[in-house]
Amino acid sequence: MKKPFDVDLKELAKDKKRNLRERLEFIDAYVEWLKKTPNDVWSRQQKSTIE
Amino acid sequence: MEYAYTKGRIEIKKELLKLDEFVLSFVKILDTAKIKYVIVSGYVGIFFGRSRNTEDIDILIERCSKEKFIEFWTLAGTEFECMNSTDRENAYKDYLEQNSALRFHLKGSFIPNMELKFIKNEIDRFTLENRIEIVLNRMRTLFFSPLEMQVAYKLYLGSEKDLEDARFIYKLFSVNIDHTLLKEMLSVLKVPKPIINYLGGKDEKAV
Repeated sequence: MKKPFDVDLKELAKDKKRNLRERLEFIDAYVEWLKKTPNDVWSRQQKSTIE
Repeated sequence: MEYAYTKGRIEIKKELLKLDEFVLSFVKILDTAKIKYVIVSGYVGIFFGRSRNTEDIDILIERCSKEKFIEFWTLAGTEFECMNSTDRENAYKDYLEQNSALRFHLKGSFIPNMELKFIKNEIDRFTLENRIEIVLNRMRTLFFSPLEMQVAYKLYLGSEKDLEDARFIYKLFSVNIDHTLLKEMLSVLKVPKPIINYLGGKDEKAV
């Protein structure tokens, strides 16, 4: 059967790991922002983002 | 973020999400039926600002009597529908008593769901007994899993989303978390060191 595409699975696994690390770094930055931001500001922004 | 933390209690004021309103309506019914509950899912992180949404909110309840459950079922029936069963006897015997979840949603909306389960083991019992009280906007109360359990159990589950949720709660409440208790929980749950490292704590190698 013809393969629809070629893929380097090792490279893909590295990408997956890097994506997770970057998301965790984002969480750290976001938490730091949350800590110094008044509740009415972060909760309004969260509401407009996820609703 | 402004909040007042004392052991077992967090007071916070914030703008409510529709998801918060949904959860508050449901737990109000459990309170009226005097059924002790604890919310254990990723909703805890969302409540405190995590920028994601969810389809279901996991909630554990005491192994209450059928009579108490029927009282809850009757009260819930004005606003909510149960997805798995339309019969209260079947819901109690074939789901709750068998440690399966009942899913409730608002009439006319398929999501979000409250995923209601009986406590079934020592971890659940500990979580319910040590739940923390959340006082919201000075007038609404709800109960969450202890922060340490929230972090430890999410690490135990171990999906990427769970690891992110664990890190969020850990970093946000790092000054309030009982680190000794957390360490003990991680040891009981046999969470491997490489997974614990995902917390990116001071003593851990950040990933």
